Amino acid sequence: MEKKRKKKKGNISLVFTNRMYVFLIPALLFFLILWIYPLLQLFYYSITDFNGINYDFDYVGFENFSRIFENGSMVNAIKNTLIYAVVVVVLSNLIGLGIAIALNTRIHFKGIFRTCAYFPALFSAIVVGFIWSYVYMPTNGMIAGLLDMFGMDGSKFNPLGSFTVALFAIAIVEVWKGFGTTMIIYLAGLQTVDESLLEAGRIDGCNEWQLTRFVKLPLISSTITINVILNVIAGLKAFDYSFIMTNGGPGSSTRTLMFQIYQMAFTDQQMGRASAFSVVSFFVIIVITVFMLFFMNKREVEL
Amino acid sequence: MKAKKVVSMLCVGAMAATMLAGCGGGGSDKSSSSEAASSGPYDEQAIENAGDITITMMVSGVATENDFETEVLPELVKEKWPNVTLEVTKLPDDNYYTTLKSRLSSGECPDIILTQPMYAGANACYTLADAGYLAPLNDLKWAEKMSDLSAVTYDDNIVTCTAGVSILGVYYNKDMFAECGITEEPKTWDEFLDDCATLKDNGYQPIVMGDKDMYVMQFGLYQIACNEVYAENPDYDDQLRTGDTHFTDEGTWDKVLEMYDELYENGYIDASQSLGIGASQAIQSFIDGNAAMTIDGSFNAPALMAEGAAGAFERGYFPIPAESGDTYTATCLSAGYSIYSGSKYIDECKELLDYWFDGESDIWQAYLATGKIIATYGEGSDQTANYELFAPFVDLMNEGKAFHWCNQAWPSGTETTMEEKFGELIGGQGTTVQDITQEMQTRFEDLM
Amino acid sequence: MAFRRKKDDREVETYMKLTPKSFLLYLVIIVFCIIIISPLVIVFSSSLRTPENQVSPLNLFIEFSLASYQKAFTNMNYPMEFLNSFITTAGSVLVIVIIATMAAYPIGRIKSKLARFMYFFFISGLIIPSQMVIVPIAQTLSRLGIPNTRFTPMLMFITCSLPFSVFLYSGFMKSVPVEIEESAYMDGASLFKRFTTIVFPLLKPATVSTIITQGLWIWNDYFYPMVFITRKEQYSLPVGMLQFLGDKENPAQWNILFAACVLCALPLIIIFMALQKQFINGIAAGAVKG
Repeated sequence: MEKKRKKKKGNISLVFTNRMYVFLIPALLFFLILWIYPLLQLFYYSITDFNGINYDFDYVGFENFSRIFENGSMVNAIKNTLIYAVVVVVLSNLIGLGIAIALNTRIHFKGIFRTCAYFPALFSAIVVGFIWSYVYMPTNGMIAGLLDMFGMDGSKFNPLGSFTVALFAIAIVEVWKGFGTTMIIYLAGLQTVDESLLEAGRIDGCNEWQLTRFVKLPLISSTITINVILNVIAGLKAFDYSFIMTNGGPGSSTRTLMFQIYQMAFTDQQMGRASAFSVVSFFVIIVITVFMLFFMNKREVEL
Repeated sequence: MKAKKVVSMLCVGAMAATMLAGCGGGGSDKSSSSEAASSGPYDEQAIENAGDITITMMVSGVATENDFETEVLPELVKEKWPNVTLEVTKLPDDNYYTTLKSRLSSGECPDIILTQPMYAGANACYTLADAGYLAPLNDLKWAEKMSDLSAVTYDDNIVTCTAGVSILGVYYNKDMFAECGITEEPKTWDEFLDDCATLKDNGYQPIVMGDKDMYVMQFGLYQIACNEVYAENPDYDDQLRTGDTHFTDEGTWDKVLEMYDELYENGYIDASQSLGIGASQAIQSFIDGNAAMTIDGSFNAPALMAEGAAGAFERGYFPIPAESGDTYTATCLSAGYSIYSGSKYIDECKELLDYWFDGESDIWQAYLATGKIIATYGEGSDQTANYELFAPFVDLMNEGKAFHWCNQAWPSGTETTMEEKFGELIGGQGTTVQDITQEMQTRFEDLM
Repeated sequence: MAFRRKKDDREVETYMKLTPKSFLLYLVIIVFCIIIISPLVIVFSSSLRTPENQVSPLNLFIEFSLASYQKAFTNMNYPMEFLNSFITTAGSVLVIVIIATMAAYPIGRIKSKLARFMYFFFISGLIIPSQMVIVPIAQTLSRLGIPNTRFTPMLMFITCSLPFSVFLYSGFMKSVPVEIEESAYMDGASLFKRFTTIVFPLLKPATVSTIITQGLWIWNDYFYPMVFITRKEQYSLPVGMLQFLGDKENPAQWNILFAACVLCALPLIIIFMALQKQFINGIAAGAVKG
């Protein structure tokens, strides 16, 4: 009888009693007061016309929500964020995995190469934004200068000024800064692959590509999952380079969800509207992440 | 079990708190200061009697060498009143808005803040005054020196202390003009276009703009609007608010946008370049002699008059001429300084501002020497740095041929829509002028 | 992992032979590294020029002068900003390590729905970007009567770091054998004692990983300090960098700007160079174990 009741409660251990939950309190306090509570407030503001300054605000019902969809800002921001995230996820993982596989061979100067690839991750986003502003600048910039040097017309090179290219240009900056971390995680994953399995594969006459595809990749599938998820999260949070390098422009071509929220709240003084935007983003992000988790878990099994 | 209870209670507690806070609307920290301080002169010995105090101040802009607000001003204040430490924070515009807003919402606002006239920007004095954040400055002696303070007066309270005007115009390279045989500043829009064509034929880039910082589009558009919209209907912006006029009205903003777009269509401003370069790079490009003109404000005069790769060529400044030749200038009160209504040192700050803006003090002199404002009163106002550049504009203003900048009368955010859409237009995204005016109108109504 | 490393060391002698195929591999990797590193090299080279030198930065290492560094150093008030960054980072990381291990202890040990729920409750914070909630956060802080001081951004760093740190520690908790604790329990050790003397020390790899990943992030973050710090004396290095925002597209200011960039990253570069192995392992361990 006694035992049954305990079982229902879920925790029957004598060593690890429920008293341990006391340890949760400090973290929980921080989290509830400074994270969950403000987050809930967003939901509340989303149905007001609060401007962030004047507390004499009115309730406007779901008007904020209908407006952000009507004027296309939501769709545009979601589209830009998704493109950005896809570029970041695909490039970071392809490059990261590629370099990790290359470095996982018996190669000289492995340490130096690894350091080179990881180095950009040490810099603050703001510094990276400055550096790449220079790299991308027309006429005087690094790439434009190099094009000139090789006899091509560098003055036509203007990625941040182009409606079609700007978003990809800033996504590449994110990849530059982030792929090193991805690579290191892959490298660690690859090092756990048992050499004897590879040896067995070789004896069976597999070539390097087959070994990679059919032995290594399935064995590091959990690493792939974690890397993809980490990059998806980073991609969906896209804000820094729109903020530092393009200010959302040209037009609205580099406005991501977070940038749009930031601009609504602080430049346009529409805290209520920005909150509605946040609430929608919140669900968009959750749906995408959950979908990715399911998808990746399924992949993991298949591999 | 106990722990579970605690946790669930915490959750419920947090939610309940949200609800409560919601009902209260956080209204408690919005104090009744606006009524408190409005009557009677302030204590002119406030600082002397205050003991050691630290006054905080926050402004926007980019700190330069020997910066006035962050370096010179605190030093001069210390010299005048050794017991006062003035701490100045200078932030780039966007960060300034962010920071100001979070400071206000946390009740931690600096004592003195930079605000803009009417509804301009996130630090617009009307918006802030409406929320009760600005102390009235009616009792400042400075106010008597100013002729028209309506743009900084809200509900009969003067809320921003500002001394000068800011002008929009076209900076040009006189040497380059002369080389192409252009001897006179253009007097009509057509002459302006002709000059651009001449420059272009001679292999010069007529105008450089840093459209990557989209706000620079306002510089040209507002001047054209003064000539083509306000000159005909001075109450256009007021009527926008009442619904008697609309951005979509034919012959108003569609005309303004079309005229400005002409510069891009003819390649006088190279959109493929300008969209990728920032405001400061455009300035650099002008002083390096890579372009004959740039459209910019008087507040950037120091940077535009500096020597670049092209050396010390002679520079001029003219307003974008009207089609009819009857040109108006886009001139307005400069951004100024407001006192936070929750400040502990309201009287001290007033004393400080009155000393600063008295027209003769060291601080005043140093303020003028920055060349960023064009003073309308006080000693040395005609010795404002580069005054000869601005004199024609001041003359126009004295003739009554001046209008405020459009965004000052619009709810903040209307201009960003205009910039964004105009950027699409010149970037070849298939946006039409009608799309822009429509979007502006929708946005305007939405923001009202 | 530990014994694998040994095996690697034994294999150090047997490098790949130089065949056309391996030559191609080297070539690809070298070219790739050059592409990755080149912006940094250019930045470094022009930071070593005098501020007036406006020859295209592509001409590498044509001048060696510390004038730009001097200028950036004074403009930023480097010693002060460095100290602020250090205090913020060290303080936040210290608190994070303590409260995240504490939180992970019940989450990793108790097998119940509640523990499971708390785990996901914390992790869910990973996916919500902080820009979204900044205004309500500022209001919450003011309602709690917390003034804007250098500690305010630290509170936020601690909060925002919890999802990842709890995730990491809970993952590592599995590698701390339950048996040791059970025998300590038999010996009459209290819960608190078990935590401090057995669990916490055994979580050292996770702690290293937390310090590195979270320290790196906090040192480099500009958002919270930008929003919450009022006084210039409390600026951290990245916030100080914001003052250069207008210079990024002005070739005339590049040398000083780039010197400031190098100065901003320098402390991390030094630490990275000195502790490379711990760094790399810390980052990898975080992801693979968790």
